[in-house]
Amino acid sequence: MTTFVFRNHTVEAFFGYDGVTYSGYDDISSVPGDVDRYIWFFQVPVNADSAQLVQEIDSYCDQLDLVIASVNENKPFIVFSLENLFPLRLTGNETSVSESVNRFNHHVIELAKSHQNIKWVDFSEFTSRYNAETLVNWKYYLMSQTLLNPKLAHDFHAWWQQINSQLDLQRKKCLVLDLDNTLWGGVLGEDGIDGIKLGGDYPGNAFFYWQRSLLQLAKNGVILAICSKNNENDVIQAWQLNPNMVLKREHFAAVRINWNDKATNLSELADELNIGLDSMVFVDDNPTERELIKQMLPQVEVPDFPEKPYQLMPFFKQLTERFFRIYAVTNEDLVKTRQYQENAMRHAERSQFADLESYLYSLDIAIDVIPVDEHRVPRVAQMTQKTNQFNLTTRRYTESDVRQLMEQGWHLFCMNESDRFGDNGVTGTIFLEPLDDVTVNIDTLLLSCRILGKGVEDAFVKTVLNLLRLDGYRHVKAQYLPTAKNMQTADFYDRLGMTCVKISPDGVKDYEMDLKQVFEIKNCYNIRVL
Amino acid sequence: MNLEEKVLEIMREAFETQDVSPSSSQRNCERWDSLRHLTLASELEEAFDIELEPEEIATMTDFSRVIEMLQSKL
Repeated sequence: MTTFVFRNHTVEAFFGYDGVTYSGYDDISSVPGDVDRYIWFFQVPVNADSAQLVQEIDSYCDQLDLVIASVNENKPFIVFSLENLFPLRLTGNETSVSESVNRFNHHVIELAKSHQNIKWVDFSEFTSRYNAETLVNWKYYLMSQTLLNPKLAHDFHAWWQQINSQLDLQRKKCLVLDLDNTLWGGVLGEDGIDGIKLGGDYPGNAFFYWQRSLLQLAKNGVILAICSKNNENDVIQAWQLNPNMVLKREHFAAVRINWNDKATNLSELADELNIGLDSMVFVDDNPTERELIKQMLPQVEVPDFPEKPYQLMPFFKQLTERFFRIYAVTNEDLVKTRQYQENAMRHAERSQFADLESYLYSLDIAIDVIPVDEHRVPRVAQMTQKTNQFNLTTRRYTESDVRQLMEQGWHLFCMNESDRFGDNGVTGTIFLEPLDDVTVNIDTLLLSCRILGKGVEDAFVKTVLNLLRLDGYRHVKAQYLPTAKNMQTADFYDRLGMTCVKISPDGVKDYEMDLKQVFEIKNCYNIRVL
Repeated sequence: MNLEEKVLEIMREAFETQDVSPSSSQRNCERWDSLRHLTLASELEEAFDIELEPEEIATMTDFSRVIEMLQSKL
């Protein structure tokens, strides 16, 4: 692998010469294309004139932007955070330099969020081990422009190697946890709900901190799952009744609480979550179980579990750094992971219920039917542009089109849907064109596919038609225009109870219906009209 | 390990090459450039727990001068 290093000081002692080439100092004029990756390693120059220094540091942002714009976006670009190795603060309240350093670092973190190839390395992890006198060796700096003390080269190599292995590592997706003596101290089946050690004094507080930290991991997109030999009812009760329980049923995307062997359970979990075994990390206090997984499912990562509860937090740190550290996760990834996790939870729920209706009840679905106002025009127009699958007519409208339709007196509604696993936002819309005082035509009806499978589309349309009936409309017309992608909606209006009055050779279907009575809507939806 | 052997070992590491000998000098050893020279100086300081002044570092241009310098310090 070949590397090109952008730098403003001598750094050869730290990155070596093997396959590494260097820019001139502060020189971004030439960006070689024939290397495998880039490193940006600038250090704050030593300058007692803080105003000048701030100006210089601020210019690094622009330089970095220029370089990034000119490199191949598929090549890794590693940016070191800027650290002030030898801060000169002539007055106690002088903060302008550290502020500009922060500005640069913040800029890099933002870049890393929007560019998948940019990875941010927190150099302070290394520098914070030393004081300023150790970090900068003035003799060597003045002889060679090597600002970072060359005597730290050995330490740096070790640290850099560790960072590199983390950069290369595929981030794992799912953490599978045991319960007894893993998420709490003691054995639930023997010690009882109040007998297990969780919260309070040591060792209960160790497990409490551990659970709280795991919860944060889940909030950062890591999927949590359980694989435990226990009586499921005991666990459900513990979740409900133990006041110190941080991690409850809703935080786990999937659970296997039974007496089957854990290898079978883990394989099932991978299937259910639709992830590979190589995306899983298995944490269990029992060495026998760990050994079983290592033998049977070598793709799964199985770290050793700490002997003592007070080692749980260092273990958590290790676990995060080794498997779940986020170097360049975009906001979009984060949202995706969350929605994906929510879907897995919904899926897991469904398999528990015998019939769909009681499943729907358990989801606490809330539907807000909202007349489209100026504020929602962009989202509604965007949905008409992007939605392909559940879209009856696939008519595309721009924002100004939508505004025009509103001015012409069309009835436009959108829908915000949420359930107990999360808020899905504005995910459906319907456009109705009044043909005369009593007749309305459904010009557009669409729903985002991520909310399908819950009967929401039915409830939404019926609610809107009930509203129009109150307005005095008595007839409704609609069309289905087939496309390559919207087959699943071909019978939607038939299912709604409309009459198909015409089918054209090209598959276009025309529907009509009288609005004689109010549509009944299942009670499992909590509907609000805003 | 005697002084000469120890210095050769440090030179191999600093210059990242096995190709060093008691006759090596900045002139005849391509790897012994000004930057690696400082790596060598820094490694010698660490290994023998000494301080080398910039002027002294500048004079250590071949193996025998390195040895002389070290002998004067130890």
